[in-house]
Amino acid sequence: MIEVKDLKKDYTDEGEVTSALRGVSFTINKGDFVSIMGPSGSGKSTLVQILSFLDRSTGGSYEFNGKKIDDLSDVELARIRNKSIGFVFQSFNLLTRLTVYENVELPLVYSDVPVSGRKKLIEDAVHSVGLDEKLYVETAKLSGGQKQRIAIARALVNDPDIIFADEPTGNLDSVSGAQVMSILDGLNHSGRTVILVTHETNTAEFADRIIRLRDGMVESDEKVKNPRHSKDEFFK
Amino acid sequence: MRVSDLIKSSRATLKHGKMRSLLTMLGIVIGISSVIILMSIGASAQDYILGQVQGLGSNLIIILPGGTNNGKFSSPAAAQGIIVTSLKQQDVDALGRDPSVAAVTEESRGQATAAFGDNSMVTTFDGVPANFFTVRNFAVQNGYPFTDADVQAYNHVAVIGSSLADTLFGAGSDPVGQYIQVKNIQFRVVGVLAKKGTGAFGIDQDNLVLVPITVAQKQMLGVDYFTDVMVQANDSYNIDFVKARVQNILEQDHNITDPNKDDFTIETQQDVLSLLGNITNILTLFLAAIASISLIVGGIGIMNIMLVSVIERTKEIGLRKSVGATNNDILQQFLVESVMLTFIGGIIGIALGGVVVGLAWLVITKVFAVAWTFEFPLTAILLAVAVSSVTGIAFGIYPARQAARKSPIEALRYE
Repeated sequence: MIEVKDLKKDYTDEGEVTSALRGVSFTINKGDFVSIMGPSGSGKSTLVQILSFLDRSTGGSYEFNGKKIDDLSDVELARIRNKSIGFVFQSFNLLTRLTVYENVELPLVYSDVPVSGRKKLIEDAVHSVGLDEKLYVETAKLSGGQKQRIAIARALVNDPDIIFADEPTGNLDSVSGAQVMSILDGLNHSGRTVILVTHETNTAEFADRIIRLRDGMVESDEKVKNPRHSKDEFFK
Repeated sequence: MRVSDLIKSSRATLKHGKMRSLLTMLGIVIGISSVIILMSIGASAQDYILGQVQGLGSNLIIILPGGTNNGKFSSPAAAQGIIVTSLKQQDVDALGRDPSVAAVTEESRGQATAAFGDNSMVTTFDGVPANFFTVRNFAVQNGYPFTDADVQAYNHVAVIGSSLADTLFGAGSDPVGQYIQVKNIQFRVVGVLAKKGTGAFGIDQDNLVLVPITVAQKQMLGVDYFTDVMVQANDSYNIDFVKARVQNILEQDHNITDPNKDDFTIETQQDVLSLLGNITNILTLFLAAIASISLIVGGIGIMNIMLVSVIERTKEIGLRKSVGATNNDILQQFLVESVMLTFIGGIIGIALGGVVVGLAWLVITKVFAVAWTFEFPLTAILLAVAVSSVTGIAFGIYPARQAARKSPIEALRYE
């Protein structure tokens, strides 16, 4: 599904070059649950931005589902982002002036799904995170945990192959964090690839595999011996 | 992104910041309503002015003494206040004999004080033949117009304007049969004209004393020439043909072989209408152009607010891009928002303009009793809608491009 070889990313500021990634290589297969860890400045955010087509590398190669990303235009990348990728951000990134329904609808607005076919998809996505009763509530009125669950519903609504979750529990209390991880775990069990960026080991161990970065390079790429799995039945 | 999604999204954004949206629209509302008001009032004024010229009579050819020195843009000498004596009775007789001419009426005008008892008023006295009343559409509402017999007999009879009648005799009184004094001559008032307002040559037709031309020329002015001559064309002939005939007849009469040296100027009523129409059109457009400056100011206001909005919604732009929006989607979204602002502002402006034009019409017709038409031209409305939409695009494109160019990563990081 994802294959990166010698991936590099340099930033140039007033003639000074800073290397955020210095040759990263790995493969992620369909259905994997991978955590990317590393201290600040290790390059994990840059890596995820490139993997999710929000940015382009300055060296190396990146193939997504067998396609070389460098050969694709920005518009084509936007289409792939829309159809194949779901994002969950640390700060939720919901539009607070809109209702839950309208927020979850957002990816569908940029898709081929006709207006008439959206309602069912939105209701199903919101149901999957257990917030059916909040469908027409303004997101400003939700708790942090509920907001993140709505963000997950938004990530799911287009039925993507892969979910990128960037510190999804970073702004949540432990109970809400557990709920969110339970949902992500369930999504992985339903066959979706999940790529999780976190600096918390407990959270990272929900994954089957942890890639650790340091100074823009892969420090380690190991399987988790006993991945944590949510035992509750939160995710249906 | 579908058009319905664009409109829904823009409507939600504008609704969210209602007060800001309203204040932003205000510049456009004022600009559009100003353009509408000026164009509507301009059209009414044009109707009014052209109506006055048409009120001269129908199928008329106006002959003024003095040439235009063959300059297309110079006015005839007579219109510049120079006394020219080139139009005389023999011209009127010659014109009257031509089959293409239905009627000829001439005028010799002067200024004098008209008095009745202690009341007096400076007025224009106008020596005219008996056919003047029919050819020039001067209706007598009280009494009767004087006749050919009065003209031939040098009878001291007068038909006076309605304002003059009110001033000299008091409103509501009947002056017919009374005597007024003009230039030391006692005239018996035989008729009062229907109200007509200011007409051609800037003469207030309600403050006028019409007397037999013979009396005016021989006893009041001591002249044998006319201030102007008007020819009513025979309906069976083309007006331009009659104009050429009139020119030919007068040139023969005045022994002129070079048309560039004509000592008279001929204008058809259509020429005058066309000229006045052009002048009023230009004047209206000029005023509308001045009013449109406020549209530019309004447009700059919109651009300013949209730029602020782009900064405020940086994170939203990042989010939209992350879920699949292209640069073009973002550009369209911000552009539709600014166009929607100006479009709604334009609609409100049109309505406000309509209300003001209606009020102006009420005041002018009811308070000032002027025969003013209510004009709300479709062209002004279409122009207003088009201009407001174009303003939205013109002033919205820059902020929209700024939004579209934002990097999704930078945008998502923005706090």
